[in-house]
Amino acid sequence: MSTSNGTLAVQTKDVWKIYPQEPNPVEAVRGVSLEIESGDFVAMAGPSGSGKTTVLNLLGGLTRPTEGSIEIGGHEITSMPDKALARLRLERIGFVFQAYNLLPVLTAMENAEFTLLLRGVPTDERHERVRVLFDQMGLEGLEDRFPGKLSGGQQQRVAVARAVVGEPALVLADEPTANLDSVASSALLDVMERLNREHGTTFVFSTHDPRVMERAHRLITLVDGEISTDVRQNHETAGA
Amino acid sequence: MRFRVLLKLAARSVGRNTRRSALTASAMVIGLALLIFSRSISEGAHEQWITSALRMGTGHVAIQAPGYLESGKLEDRIGAKAYQRALDAVEAVADDRVVAHAPRLTVTGLASSASSALPVRIEGVDPDGERLYSDLDEKVEDGRYLQHDDRLHAYIGVELARRLGLKVGTRFVLTAQSASGDVEGQLVRVAGIFKTTVPEMDEGLVHIPIETAREWLGTPGAVTTHAVLLASARGTDGVVDDLQDRLSGDPDVRVLGWREASPALRSALLVDDYGNYVFHAILFAIVALAIMNAVMMSVLGRRREFGVLQALGLTGAQTGWVVFGEGMFLTAVSGFVGMGLGFLFTWVFFREGLDFSSFVESEGAWASAGGVVDPVVVPIFHSSQVMLSLYFILVMGTLASIYPAMRASKLDIAEAMKFDR
Repeated sequence: MSTSNGTLAVQTKDVWKIYPQEPNPVEAVRGVSLEIESGDFVAMAGPSGSGKTTVLNLLGGLTRPTEGSIEIGGHEITSMPDKALARLRLERIGFVFQAYNLLPVLTAMENAEFTLLLRGVPTDERHERVRVLFDQMGLEGLEDRFPGKLSGGQQQRVAVARAVVGEPALVLADEPTANLDSVASSALLDVMERLNREHGTTFVFSTHDPRVMERAHRLITLVDGEISTDVRQNHETAGA
Repeated sequence: MRFRVLLKLAARSVGRNTRRSALTASAMVIGLALLIFSRSISEGAHEQWITSALRMGTGHVAIQAPGYLESGKLEDRIGAKAYQRALDAVEAVADDRVVAHAPRLTVTGLASSASSALPVRIEGVDPDGERLYSDLDEKVEDGRYLQHDDRLHAYIGVELARRLGLKVGTRFVLTAQSASGDVEGQLVRVAGIFKTTVPEMDEGLVHIPIETAREWLGTPGAVTTHAVLLASARGTDGVVDDLQDRLSGDPDVRVLGWREASPALRSALLVDDYGNYVFHAILFAIVALAIMNAVMMSVLGRRREFGVLQALGLTGAQTGWVVFGEGMFLTAVSGFVGMGLGFLFTWVFFREGLDFSSFVESEGAWASAGGVVDPVVVPIFHSSQVMLSLYFILVMGTLASIYPAMRASKLDIAEAMKFDR
């Protein structure tokens, strides 16, 4: 069951990303146009080098397109100043990375609350929000552990908690299950689906994993930087 | 709130990478400790150098007649009345700053014996005052130093004695131009022979009682210099100011600090200081490079981490502040540890002095700028010098952190996220 509500979380028009490389420039993304509704649960699949990560980076404002326009929650980001873009990322976008990318000098709690800290949310509220998430994600009791003392699955769940704790409109996840075993992958997808269902958070993630693709509500396939297929999948029982 | 978060990140990063932080810190700690040690030894050596030279010469503060510094002639002397006024002024300002003061009546002349004649500097001195003022009485090679009831006695250098064939008890003639302009001779007997290792003193200095000199040269009650020795060269300007205040209306006397009265010594110290500055500049450069290298390596090795910070919502500038904060944090901690270590090291191992006698060829003393310098150099700490060293280290740390911080602030986030994947 999709929780999409008809408003657009993401809209791109004819987006190109070309890396000026000698002798031939690399066209990583070629004319991608897509619309993603708020509350959707979208997977992007495709072989290595198909442009999945680049598209996610473009949607997150981590890199700017060579051509085309990108709107996130109605905000045109391609010409947005760096400072405003950083603010948008902080308040409206959450990131989950393949290699977890927790800050090694912060504990699990501090990592998860990091964006709230930057937003100036009071301590009690921060801790309460993180604890609720940790309870939901099976991370209770791990608050004071540093990333080096957590398993891969635990680290990725902390990373997801960090991405969603600020209740962003959009969560971008770059192959979030790539470094996890099947059990941990399934558990992580459960968490993401629940957050999508209960909070209406829009998820866009890239993946190679067929089991992950199956659970997406919409599957976009990229080949050589272009959208090859864009299929909405029936999940009448997936989120029940 | 954000600033506190950035500071926390910076401090934690320093603490997390203990090996890297320790290496960087050690460069700064050792650099600053060396700097403080070097400065304190240098200050100690200078103080000894100045004191030794000035004990043999015009003192930290010299009171002379106007024109004597330039001419060095007897005609530019302080007469009896003016000298009494000058002496009263010295007595009035003499406090803990003043160690001793002594009159000198100095002329150049000839010392002649049956075998030869040599040019000499003849100093009429007050034997009792001179014992307190200089340490020439401690350099006796044979015989004794002058005594207060001596009249026709002389205390001469060992080389002069050798060249003139003089021994203790033998007589020789001093010849010089008197106040009247006539060349007058004075027969004196050798009371003692000294050895300083300063060639110009051993070859050409003669001490005789000042009253004998005054009678011989026809200058009753006069001096060419009244020399004032201070506890520290740093007190010179204060004593000069006090004496000038008291003698400002007196046209017959002039008060000079040692830098003015002993330009050769001043030049020698400036040359030595210049060498020290070069050494310190090299030391600072090494420390700065060590800091920059460590912080830079830290930035290059953590590009992905900085990319994550910016992906999460930090601006480039804020990321730069994290890196800058790390550099500053390391610098501040290392600076204070280095300062403490420098003090401790110098105090524990060298408070009794650093012995350079193994580098000295001639019987345990250095001759320099007209003085005899003890080869055991006692370090001196001046808070202003220490604070200046600390300040420089902090400035170096700050400057060395700027470039890595700028690199971190201009990171391409998407590229950084690929780093070390």
